Amino acid sequence: MSMLSRRQFVQGGSVVAAMLLAGCGSSSSGADASSAPADGEYKLVNEGKLTCISNLFFPPFESMNEASGEPEGFDIDVSKELAKHMGLEINWLPSQDFDTLVPTIKQGGKADIAIAGMTITDARKAEVDMSEPYVDSNQSIVVKSGSTETAETLDDASKTIAVQGGTTGADWADENLPNATKKRLSTIIDAMSGCQSGLYDAVVCDLPVSSYQIKESYTDLQIIEEIPTGEQYGIAISKDNPGLTAAVNAALAEMEEDGTMAAIEMEWFGSEI
Amino acid sequence: MSLRKRSERRGAVAIVTTLMLALSLAMPTSALALTTNKATARPNEDGGSSVIGGLDTRLTWEGTVEEGEEVTEVTLMLPDDGTFDGATTKITVLDGLKRAKLEGEAVANGSQLTVTFKEPATAGYLLRLEVEGMRFPSEGGDIVVSGSYVNQAGEQTLADSKPIKTIANTPLQALVAQLDEAPWVQAWNSNPFLGMFFKPQLLATAFATLVPGWLLCLLIVVIAYPFAIVLGLVFALMKISKHRLLRFISTLYINVLRGTPLFLQIYIMFFGLPMMNINIDNNVLGVIVIAINASAYLAEIFRAGIQSIPQGQYEAASSLGMNYFQTMFSIILPQTIRRVIPTVTSDFITSYKDTSLLSSVGVMELMMFAKNLTSVSGNMTPYVAAAIFYLVVTLPLIKVVSIVEERIANSERGGGPRPKGKNAAKAAEASNGAKLSGLAVHAQALDDEHAYDSAMGQMTPSYASEV
Repeated sequence: MSMLSRRQFVQGGSVVAAMLLAGCGSSSSGADASSAPADGEYKLVNEGKLTCISNLFFPPFESMNEASGEPEGFDIDVSKELAKHMGLEINWLPSQDFDTLVPTIKQGGKADIAIAGMTITDARKAEVDMSEPYVDSNQSIVVKSGSTETAETLDDASKTIAVQGGTTGADWADENLPNATKKRLSTIIDAMSGCQSGLYDAVVCDLPVSSYQIKESYTDLQIIEEIPTGEQYGIAISKDNPGLTAAVNAALAEMEEDGTMAAIEMEWFGSEI
Repeated sequence: MSLRKRSERRGAVAIVTTLMLALSLAMPTSALALTTNKATARPNEDGGSSVIGGLDTRLTWEGTVEEGEEVTEVTLMLPDDGTFDGATTKITVLDGLKRAKLEGEAVANGSQLTVTFKEPATAGYLLRLEVEGMRFPSEGGDIVVSGSYVNQAGEQTLADSKPIKTIANTPLQALVAQLDEAPWVQAWNSNPFLGMFFKPQLLATAFATLVPGWLLCLLIVVIAYPFAIVLGLVFALMKISKHRLLRFISTLYINVLRGTPLFLQIYIMFFGLPMMNINIDNNVLGVIVIAINASAYLAEIFRAGIQSIPQGQYEAASSLGMNYFQTMFSIILPQTIRRVIPTVTSDFITSYKDTSLLSSVGVMELMMFAKNLTSVSGNMTPYVAAAIFYLVVTLPLIKVVSIVEERIANSERGGGPRPKGKNAAKAAEASNGAKLSGLAVHAQALDDEHAYDSAMGQMTPSYASEV
């Protein structure tokens, strides 16, 4: 396994409190890591590289650069810093549908982590390991500007609500707008475009995404309700790779400590959130 | 929004009550210090949207702490038979949209759940309790979550939540529960591949829930296809017309539609038309897109089919004094139809499969249902079930195509429905005769030439459709 990563990981780990490492091989040093896989050792799909998957249509968390097609966004910056803190190279795979991310990580062999603005939920934790939370989020209801819809009028069989499949927004709509017709789409862009053109009456999605999108591209949409849910995003990692989860958590804690996370938040949201 | 109004009104009432309290110390404390905002339950019907009693689900309860109050404990109560035992509670305290650093501990005891906060929750805080793994009473019905809370003045009664609609168990869900228990299912699912793609519980659920989507797929393509055939024929005739303008229009139509992905055409129609204030029902729009797209392919198939009919047929028709339309409709097209049936059927199969693309714009067809189920379960089995639904239609059609193709090839070759044995004997006789008589050799050669011609004619339409 990757010796370098091991050393940096232990170095990084020693900076933060020992409790964060919670028994993940603080005894092994870089020198002996190459021998037997120590406790806390982790496997990577590509040696020396942190391979990430995501759905790249979720700005400002992840999107593709208009010109270069390279992934960019809050999560992408987090992943880059994460890799740097773990002493690894970053390797982004092409975008895939959000609802396939957890199964992909669970199956293993394709990517090490999924970082995709993914809320930590019990259902997801049953399938994969989730890292410690790295950012907070909430839900929102988006409609066309000038629309008189409210959360109450939307809960009607004649109304269509667009959501992204597999998201907490979809769950929220199922639970809180039980009578409305829900359309589960592949990307939030499909949902917003459809809402803009009048195909759907409303969109339910993560508040940071809707507010960014309305500011940047969908100026004729508006948020009618900010729904406090206090959900938190985490990184999905296979249950077969507990060492990697520990290493990611250690690196996240370090990034919180050294101000990296705050800097990324400043860059994408203009404030620490 | 009336929820919010109501809470505001309640807030106002609370303030008034607090004022009154300050004036008269003897007044009992108001019961509105902790407003119940909502209680909802996550649907736990596989592939459905109902909340089923007696099965694990998640209850989300939210309440706001009113002005001047401090809440230290909240107890939620279910009607008898409902249980919180074995549930895990996620406690989130929010100040506006920000998470407040306030921790608590939940203790479940039968139909009661008590959450104790380490520090009192103060005014304006939103208390959000997500109880995962709780169960509503198994007989179903409208369930009201009641309870109590503790503030600085002692224990108070919590306002009842709006009723949550729950239903009793369904036969399908009972079957799934049975499968959950079965040892062979557990062994089967322990294999990662089988568990991910062929999970028996999900196969059962998927077969039941995908049916409406499957019917919609069939409906869309069955309605769209006759229109596509008529449109295709019109454009095919335009393409072989003598008028340059007609030829141009038809070529443009066919090339643009065949030269762009159907996915793109769907996006343009579904997002574009409503923007021009043309509002058509999604399913109807789906039929239109599929019909237009298929018509371009059919136009090419028909054109190739018409042009494969030997020139002699036209000459024969005109020698009988037939005009263009008579020639077309009573001589050429009947022969064309026979020749294009296999390719048209193949195109029908393609169109049927193409309906899956409509899921991206929210048409509730087969893929949409499968995607829904997959996104809820995080498992690929619903897609496998969808594949089976597609195959149920396509496999028989593929068989039909090959049978029809063989028959046509046979008859054009002059094989026809003659018994095989006799045919073989005749061929043997002919080759024997060839040794004896030059005339027989000549006859055989003529026969072969005819078969070759027919085969070439037959090949043209199918080749064209593959371009």
